[in-house]
Amino acid sequence: MPLIATKSLTKRYPGGVTALDDLSVELEPGIIGLVGANGAGKSTFIRILLGLLEPTSGTASVLGYDVRTQGSALRRYVGYMPESDCLPPDTTATDFVGQMARWSGLPRAAARERAAEVLRHVGLYEERYRPMGAYSTGMKQRVKLAQALVHDPRLLLLDEPTNGLDPAGRDEMLALVKRTGTEFGIAVVVASHLLGEIERVCDHLVAVDAGRLIRSAPLTSFTERTGTLAVDVEEGADKLVAALTAAGIEAVADGRTVLIHLEDERPYDLVRDTVADLGLPLVRIEQRRRGLEELFQ
Amino acid sequence: MTAPAAPGPVGGAATGSIYDLGYRGYDGPRSGRHVVVRALLRQSLQEAYGIGRGGRAKVAPFLLLIFNAVPAMLAVGISAFLNQAGGSEVLEQGIPIRHDTYWSLTSTFVMLFCAAQAPELFGRDQRYGVLPLYFSRVLTRVDYALARVGGLFIAIFIVALLPHLILTIGAVLGAPDPVAGLQDELPEIPSYLAMTLIGSAVFAGVSSVVASYTPRRAYAVAGIIALFIVPPIVIGIIAALSVPDIAKVLLLASPSDVVDGVNGAIYGPLRIGNETFQIATLPGWVYVVTALAYVAGSLAIVLRRYLTVTV
Repeated sequence: MPLIATKSLTKRYPGGVTALDDLSVELEPGIIGLVGANGAGKSTFIRILLGLLEPTSGTASVLGYDVRTQGSALRRYVGYMPESDCLPPDTTATDFVGQMARWSGLPRAAARERAAEVLRHVGLYEERYRPMGAYSTGMKQRVKLAQALVHDPRLLLLDEPTNGLDPAGRDEMLALVKRTGTEFGIAVVVASHLLGEIERVCDHLVAVDAGRLIRSAPLTSFTERTGTLAVDVEEGADKLVAALTAAGIEAVADGRTVLIHLEDERPYDLVRDTVADLGLPLVRIEQRRRGLEELFQ
Repeated sequence: MTAPAAPGPVGGAATGSIYDLGYRGYDGPRSGRHVVVRALLRQSLQEAYGIGRGGRAKVAPFLLLIFNAVPAMLAVGISAFLNQAGGSEVLEQGIPIRHDTYWSLTSTFVMLFCAAQAPELFGRDQRYGVLPLYFSRVLTRVDYALARVGGLFIAIFIVALLPHLILTIGAVLGAPDPVAGLQDELPEIPSYLAMTLIGSAVFAGVSSVVASYTPRRAYAVAGIIALFIVPPIVIGIIAALSVPDIAKVLLLASPSDVVDGVNGAIYGPLRIGNETFQIATLPGWVYVVTALAYVAGSLAIVLRRYLTVTV
């Protein structure tokens, strides 16, 4: 049974905007990055999985539950961190997270205990007894994560968890997400428009654009090697290009880097020998990986 | 905050970092919808009185609860005094604070309670964006709406019922013969229970409608007050300008007048001192049916709001 399975999922908003377009995907447990530009349909996708939004057509199941008909049962095992603000400023984090645990079905005593534990886990200590209106963005994001975790869900759906955070805050939030996914055995879907962030924590990537699925694959296959060899030399890049071209190999200079098209193993030895013959100051030889950004170009 | 240390084993050496405690799952019971709805109902009732929030949140609801009960306390006190002075029979007729007059005398406090507290229950969650967190949990949208309306209703019912209980207790304890006093008082109980139930339900219903559609607190407060005091004024003007018979029917469009009509249907004309006021000019059942229609209609509108609101 897959963690999440959708079939031809489509969402059209009144007014003709198509947020999701015939999206079919099957995902196994792990840390899944949901990546796409703003407005690509990430939030819509997550909200449909939670049953917050009705799809126009198509089906979706999460943890084996149909999101349309078994929403209430399903939501007991799902945690959701929305992108938007959702914290009442005059309530303390302890009270708020404890209440949220109760609405997830935890008895009162267990709710209090879990709230304290999960707030400590996300790194909120004495502050948790203060009203949340005075919190920094970083602390608010932590409380938002805590309320999603408080009922020990099987699946966490995080919508732009690093929004508004400074670089240090981003690192900490991403580390928390990674720990949640790897150590606690909770499956995570994390939506972000920042590829650089998402590739640091995810093991599977789902790329969407304009509501359509571009690709769903393990992270490694997104960054597999390309047929380009990059040779950095401190000087004489043009001499190297001339020598390689004379030997019948396609090569172009890009500043101090020479990019060589790789069709077989032949260029490796030839580059080494040519650089040695010309006596060029070599910095490195590297096989280029495909960057995630290329997905959206 | 410092960067998290490398996580150790569960219960590992205490290095001062909380991360070493490790994450523990939850294997305890998880209640279903019905338990959660009851919990939210109780929470809503508490929030209606500012319980669980700062001291300032409690000021308005408790002041209004007390203000609404002050006349009953005074009446009981005066009766007790007169009983001791031996002039009870004569002067009791002069005290207009009785079960049958209570709603009409003090419903302004009940209305103010609605205006002050309904926005707390309905507006906050919308204003601060908390609805997605509720709706992504066990409750359905209908559950949430019913729990909120129910909590407000019970809160208002307590405000409305408290003075009647004070009057009853005062009458029983203040009577020369408490058993006879209780016997005199018993027939009153079903009447004021019915009156306060219907009145509270109508007031809770219409204020829920305004508050659920108006996340901004100030607008909701103004809207609720307006809904109770503007229709009688407008209808009064219409009555003055045209046929009074039309105005009688038009009064059904005013929630506060409908509840006063229910009071008339239960107790008959309002009697204060030597004067009587005929409030219910239509047959009594018309007011009761209209009141129930207000309750049902309000519930339908509130449910519609929460079924369609985008979160």
